[in-house]
Amino acid sequence: MDKAAVKNELVKMLGHEKVLSEDLDLMYYSYDSSFLTKLEPANPTAVVMPRSTEDVAQVMRFAFENDIPVIPRGAGTGETGGCIALRGGIVLDLSTWDEIIEIDASNMQVLVRPGVIHAKLNEELAKFNLFFPPDPGSSQMCTIGGMVANNASGLRAVKYGTTEQYILGLEVVLANGDIITTGGMKAKCIKNVSGLNLTKLMVGSEGVLGVVTRVRLRCWPKPRARGIAMAVFDNLDEAPAAVLDVYQAGILPSGIEILDSSAINAVNSFKPQINLPQAEAILLFEVDGNPPGVEFEGNIIKEVVGKRARTVEWSTEAKRMAELWEGRSITATAAARVKADGSRIFAGEDISVPLSKVADTLRQIRALGDKYGIKVVNYGHIGDGNVHTAPVINPENPDEVEKVLQLVDDIHRLAVELEGTTTGEHGVGAVRRQYAELEHGLAVKYMQGVKDAFDAKGIMNPGKLF
Amino acid sequence: MEFQKLPPVKEQIMKCVRCGKCRSVCPVFEQIRNETAAPRGHVFMVGMLRDGIVEPKQEVYEKLGNCLLCETCSVNCPSGIDIHELNAAARSYIYDKNPSAGKELIFDTMWTRPGFLRTTTMLMGGVQKLGLQTLARNMGLTKILPGDMPKAEKIMTSVPTRSARKQIPKFNRAKGEKKYTVGYFLGCATDLLNPEIAKATVNILTHFGCDVIIPKDMKCCGMPHIANGKMDTARNLMAHNVKIFNSYNLDYIISDCASCSSALAHKNVEFLLGGLKIEDEAFKFSDKVMDLTTFLVEVLDIKLPDKNVTKKTRVTYHDPCHLANAQGIKDAPRELLRRIPEVELVEMPGANTCCGGSGTYSLTHYDLSMKILDKKMDRAMSTGAAKLATCCPSCTMQLKYGTVRSHWDCEVVHPVVLANRSLQQSLVKK
Ligand SMILES: Cc1cc2nc3c(=O)[nH]c(=O)nc-3n(C[C@H](O)[C@H](O)[C@H](O)COP(=O)(O)OP(=O)(O)OC[C@H]3O[C@@H](n4cnc5c(N)ncnc54)[C@H](O)[C@@H]3O)c2cc1C
Ligand code: SF4
Ligand code: SF4
Repeated sequence: MDKAAVKNELVKMLGHEKVLSEDLDLMYYSYDSSFLTKLEPANPTAVVMPRSTEDVAQVMRFAFENDIPVIPRGAGTGETGGCIALRGGIVLDLSTWDEIIEIDASNMQVLVRPGVIHAKLNEELAKFNLFFPPDPGSSQMCTIGGMVANNASGLRAVKYGTTEQYILGLEVVLANGDIITTGGMKAKCIKNVSGLNLTKLMVGSEGVLGVVTRVRLRCWPKPRARGIAMAVFDNLDEAPAAVLDVYQAGILPSGIEILDSSAINAVNSFKPQINLPQAEAILLFEVDGNPPGVEFEGNIIKEVVGKRARTVEWSTEAKRMAELWEGRSITATAAARVKADGSRIFAGEDISVPLSKVADTLRQIRALGDKYGIKVVNYGHIGDGNVHTAPVINPENPDEVEKVLQLVDDIHRLAVELEGTTTGEHGVGAVRRQYAELEHGLAVKYMQGVKDAFDAKGIMNPGKLF
Repeated sequence: MEFQKLPPVKEQIMKCVRCGKCRSVCPVFEQIRNETAAPRGHVFMVGMLRDGIVEPKQEVYEKLGNCLLCETCSVNCPSGIDIHELNAAARSYIYDKNPSAGKELIFDTMWTRPGFLRTTTMLMGGVQKLGLQTLARNMGLTKILPGDMPKAEKIMTSVPTRSARKQIPKFNRAKGEKKYTVGYFLGCATDLLNPEIAKATVNILTHFGCDVIIPKDMKCCGMPHIANGKMDTARNLMAHNVKIFNSYNLDYIISDCASCSSALAHKNVEFLLGGLKIEDEAFKFSDKVMDLTTFLVEVLDIKLPDKNVTKKTRVTYHDPCHLANAQGIKDAPRELLRRIPEVELVEMPGANTCCGGSGTYSLTHYDLSMKILDKKMDRAMSTGAAKLATCCPSCTMQLKYGTVRSHWDCEVVHPVVLANRSLQQSLVKK
């Protein structure tokens, strides 16, 4: 079916309000946060903004009959080109479908449509003293649908885990238009081992198995207090060792973040008034809970980490905590400051390695940066070994682009070699699928088998994941 | 200067990491909800224009034009991108290449010629019953209001019959000991639509020791032109005003209008300079520019006469984007209100979200603008205030209309007018 006919059919089916088909409009859907789409933006054939499960099912049936790719999209904050129509097709912009259907406070759960923004959900839940713990840095922008599809997590994953732990059930529209409910058609229960666990299969499937149209999320009681410790290290190796000491002291912080010397320099040149101490590494420990518990754990962290760090500062005072945290929160942006005409790019940005290898990894990444003459800034969620690397280049200089792509490839391979993975939380999308064989070997064949069972014609988000 | 070589276009586009943070704060995006209205989308599209991937056509202008230039995106962008400047520069570029995309008549002829603008507006006052639509048609201004004209007419407040300039002399001597000589940048909207703000400004300034000069041949600050893709005209206006004001020996150049002071501020003047070789003169001028409330609170540190007020009036304050976002000025207007004995200041939720007025946006994008306005009014009304204060004529017009739409008996007023009322009452009692 030619492009014009596809557009006409969609408009006939759903009306002008829900369909974008002008060429100019489609260009706006050629990118997400990935470096890939800065280099190679790709326009869809049409964009549909569904507002009901039936809208989605209708589009899927039409696409299935006519072999047209369908690409679900949330807010387009993914770093992997996951929501991009690489080979044309219909993009489903689900971000406008943002209804919170029901906050069931008595059962500690909430039922939402996929377009709800993470931060907005937590704002509503806070009224019931509840929260949905996974907290990506993109909280104010990204959708719950995108988080489910990418199994997103964030700063607090070390204690609270990832999105998957909180999904009780999903409504999913499959490639042929079938609508299924995972986790039990009516089930609202917290514990549930009935049937094959299709929920877990769908979470993190990056839109290649179906379109998530409704999500039942489990919520937790919102902690009443927080405290932050900042520890400064002269020796990088002491940082992961100190993290282990804290675990062994029986403490599970809600976040443990690292800035290495490259990140410290970046932050200081971006905002000199923050004035982070010069060091090989800085760690930030966050603990949450009830006030006496927080104070108790803070004291232990101070004592244990103090044995390895040059200094440790602990605070439960809101203003000081915000100051201590500021260095971490601006690192992603500050990174660009290490090069005058530079911009940080999202590529090779999300490897994850075992805790015991974090120091080694950071050193090797810096050496790789030197090898290619590319500045890199390292920071990340050291508590779970998730390292965020920010290469800084002039993206309009082809020579730097070529070099950075080699650097990124090396970083990904390094992660696998060090018994880690190419992505800890951002996902695979179009940018890391070439490592599927390297990471998963024969398992990829069975992944494909699962995909075929759900999507025999291969129209769901083609070119992604593996 | 060539569009492609303008500093923000050359240096900033590549810094956008498409994180989407700007999506989450944009009042227009909040209503439209698809990427074509996202600030991130605007940055992307400006890049496409720069690289010649899209042509400078009307349809691109319309996409970029769906923006209030409220700068909320820019102040929230972690990469420090001046998204609104990119947008304004791109609109100007499209306009230059394709003049039919802009709104030539009204902006080139009317706003650049104060005399003509004044006559036209006065005429409008005279023929208000005839209606804006007829007037515009007679003047050939139909391009300005595609479609929304009849609805937009309702927003235009009644025009006073005498402009501020007709009522205030060019030179006003300080009362008591003289502290400063200030130039008063009397913007078009204050002059024509809100002369009482101008009178209050001059009263307060002279009372607290300022000689106030209102240069006769000053022209529009250029903000409407920036918003409508007429960068060249804005640049010429700026150069003209620089010359006029620099011909006086002034300590400060004061503006009661958020848009004027932001158009004349250092950062914007720098952005406008383009190829003009008048940096020294221009910065000498812009470095003297100050928002009225900041001047009253921080420089003059005015104290209004104390009095026993049995029942204070609840006043809530709306932050104009051109003050809060463009210049970071949030405290001074509030502090001025706090210093008025009759006033009890109550904060509304989201005081710094845009009201949807933004110059001509409410005229060109009526329906959308009203959705943004209604949300603002709900928040303002939740305070139970009897007066809604703000420092921008465009916000004032929009908010006044908001009070009518929501049947709210509330005066929309500039803080300086309240300050002046309090002062005058004290003086009369003496
Ligand atoms: C500044 C910044 C910080 C970030 N920090 C973090 C972080 O700390 N942790 C983290 O995990 N991620 C982070 N991310 C990455 C990203 O925000 C998350 O992966 C997020 O969950 C993506 O959500 P989205 O709505 O933007 O989805 P999109 O980018 O639009 O889509 C992502 C993927 O999900 C699929 N998808 C979207 N909606 C659906 C649906 N309803 N059904 C089926 N498939 C769907 C898409 O096809 C695509 O494959 C960050 C990104 C940025 C820009
Ligand atoms: S906030 Fe800034 S960097 Fe992020 S998408 Fe918007 S313009 Fe780009
Ligand atoms: S200036 Fe205001 S309306 Fe325009 S894109 Fe930015 S936030 Fe949106």
